[in-house]
Amino acid sequence: MIFEQLAGNLIQGLVLGAIYGMATMGLSLIFGVLKVVNVGHGAFIMVGAFVTLWLFNALGIIPIFAIPVALIIGLALGFLFYYTVMRKLIKAPELATLLATFAIGVLLEETIKLIFGSEFRGYNWAVGKINLGITVLPFTKLYACLGSVAIAVLLYLWFNKTRAGTAMRSVVEDSEGARVCGVNVDGVYALSFAIGIGLTVTSGVLLTMFIPVGINPYMGGSYTLKAFVIAVLGGLASPYGAFFGGLVFGLIENGSYTLFALLPNVEPFALTRFLSFAMLLLILLIRPTGLLRAK
Amino acid sequence: MLRVENLESGYGPMQVLWKPSLEVKKGSITSLLGPNGVGKSTLLRTVLGSVQPWKGKITYEGIDVTLLPTHKKVDLGITLVPEGKHLFVGMTVQENLIMGAYRKEALKDKDDTLELVYSLFPVLKERGKQAAGSLSGGEQQMVTIARALMTKPKLIMMDEPSQGLAPKLVGEVFETIEKLNTEIGLTILLVEQNAEASLKAADYVYIMHEGRIKTEGPAKEIAESSDIREAYLGI
Repeated sequence: MIFEQLAGNLIQGLVLGAIYGMATMGLSLIFGVLKVVNVGHGAFIMVGAFVTLWLFNALGIIPIFAIPVALIIGLALGFLFYYTVMRKLIKAPELATLLATFAIGVLLEETIKLIFGSEFRGYNWAVGKINLGITVLPFTKLYACLGSVAIAVLLYLWFNKTRAGTAMRSVVEDSEGARVCGVNVDGVYALSFAIGIGLTVTSGVLLTMFIPVGINPYMGGSYTLKAFVIAVLGGLASPYGAFFGGLVFGLIENGSYTLFALLPNVEPFALTRFLSFAMLLLILLIRPTGLLRAK
Repeated sequence: MLRVENLESGYGPMQVLWKPSLEVKKGSITSLLGPNGVGKSTLLRTVLGSVQPWKGKITYEGIDVTLLPTHKKVDLGITLVPEGKHLFVGMTVQENLIMGAYRKEALKDKDDTLELVYSLFPVLKERGKQAAGSLSGGEQQMVTIARALMTKPKLIMMDEPSQGLAPKLVGEVFETIEKLNTEIGLTILLVEQNAEASLKAADYVYIMHEGRIKTEGPAKEIAESSDIREAYLGI
């Protein structure tokens, strides 16, 4: 019985993990290329969640079609914040970019709060579910998982098969080297920031497809923290590392939930959060380059 | 070919270049000498645009390129072999070289340039599939020079290309530099700490001190002037 429950939860964890991974790729991409930690990461996820919510509740557009809308909004926000804020700060000390991205996050939260209010919202997109015997998986979750994998594959192809992607890889490896090869490094920074934010806003759509409730302007905070743990798991600068970090994190979170639920007098959800940060500390202490970095 | 007039630049509030002026004639090897930390690297990086010029003027083949972004300068045929290599260590040798042909102009002739580069550095062809980071220091320096050649430059600036290399390899690097000049007709602006070898290779020499050009002259004259050698080069 317990093993069935565990196996079922692990499947859920794998599905959620793919979405977590996708939700961290933007953070890792921006860190890898610009060496900037986007503290406002979760706020961009929240924007994606509100895009989904609004399109569905107000216009009846299903979340799958919210994906391209969120991507475009994210790209636009990325370019906007790069050229208005980040560009000037990129050579400044780290504290400047930390404060700036924190401020951008607050700005987004308060703007959304002005428009939509601060209560918790949700939507109900019922498209049926599939019974796997050990667990029941709604199609919405399955779509979100497939969407995450598809986006990760597209990003991989972009990085390895296109000229712009090659330029990005070269900047990740050595920006000065890229510059002497004639790569427009400033342009790569702008594009990478935009794509990073685009991915992050899009992940907000996918996350609400997994958890379609609890949408409110301040929902991003917990995702920022999770994304940091996942990014560190995956070696920080690699979007694919982040994706696999997400899978690992999803499995651990869901697996440990099942086990913690067996303990008397504990709130298993609170303990999984404790576990994730204990993990972050441990990784930073033992393997600061990330679990998945072989070199 | 390249003319730098009263250039001023630096990092943050710290001024490094105090109006040096110099000229690099087409087809020449021009050497910029001087002790560590006098602004030689900063001058090269300002010419390429990875450090922003504050004041002064940079002209290349008659065009004012002072404020042109770096990638546009690479399009015009200027490139830099940076100090400390700056290779893409996670990529293979061949991928590094192909990155050099990133600009559209260079990409067109990628295969021909690659063949030329491999004929100059046969060992790189053998190492083509290896990660650049796994090569020895001397080989990595070759990749850096080869990668710069892949941009199809007319003017190639080299920042300490012999730094950290064994004496035998230093000789090879200088041989390569002379070969690039005589056989391919590249114009070279060379920054070096190895004054003796540079004086031999160069046609014309500028000596830099504290962000300023202190003296200049044909390499032979500088080499023969014991005053200059003693005062600025310590040899």
